[in-house]
Amino acid sequence: MAPSIQNRIGVLRAERGLSRQQLADAVGINYQTVGYLERGDYNPSLELAFRIAEYFGLPLEAVFSRQPFAPMSSQLYGKEESA
Amino acid sequence: MTEVNSEDPVIAAWHRRPLSSRVGSRSFRRRLIIATYTGWLVFAGCVKFLSYGPLRPPWLFLVLIGGNLIVQAAWVVRRTIISTPALVDAELDERLIQSRNAAFRTAFKIFAIAALISWLLAIEAVQAQPNNQGLLNSFILFMAVGLLATTLPTFIVAWREPDPAEPELSAR
Repeated sequence: MAPSIQNRIGVLRAERGLSRQQLADAVGINYQTVGYLERGDYNPSLELAFRIAEYFGLPLEAVFSRQPFAPMSSQLYGKEESA
Repeated sequence: MTEVNSEDPVIAAWHRRPLSSRVGSRSFRRRLIIATYTGWLVFAGCVKFLSYGPLRPPWLFLVLIGGNLIVQAAWVVRRTIISTPALVDAELDERLIQSRNAAFRTAFKIFAIAALISWLLAIEAVQAQPNNQGLLNSFILFMAVGLLATTLPTFIVAWREPDPAEPELSAR
């Protein structure tokens, strides 16, 4: 089984108030595929990953990562999340 | 229970999707596949049972062909991602193309074994009963293989496709 690629699609989509269907239409994929990407059920091709990152206007590494993303709070404020 | 706001465009869009194009839960699809094949086996058994009564070939052959066509029409001729094998590349995204190709690969493996076994059984059926019964037995096997050939890729996609992503209440 291929290792799961972490992504922030769900957060970015919610931030911009987009539905799955709207994002799917914008990047040219099925709306179910957006859900599977968000759930980590499917790893996108490099081409699709670039399309999604370009749509959000962010570098690829801001949307996709091989390691789990650090919490937003620690990234924004430089604080470690307390247990 | 969460109250669904019917004014929400996402929820409204979800509910507007015709029943035939909804994905459905994986467990539901799997139960439906098992029910379809079981139903066909019961149907073939009934045809065999009728062959001992007044109904004789070629009517029974037509009944079997009709039964197969109904199953194929219900499953394969739909415009939904569950019928991905029937759709062209332009209608599919990269995930669905991968899913379709994997389904065809698996379907071929199952079909090749089923066709080989059925071929041997059909020869044996005709040799053991060189009459209408033998011919009907081999025809039932022929129809079963035909059903597998046409429905297996669709059934494999339906079997494997994960549960659908739920519509979200928060999106605008």
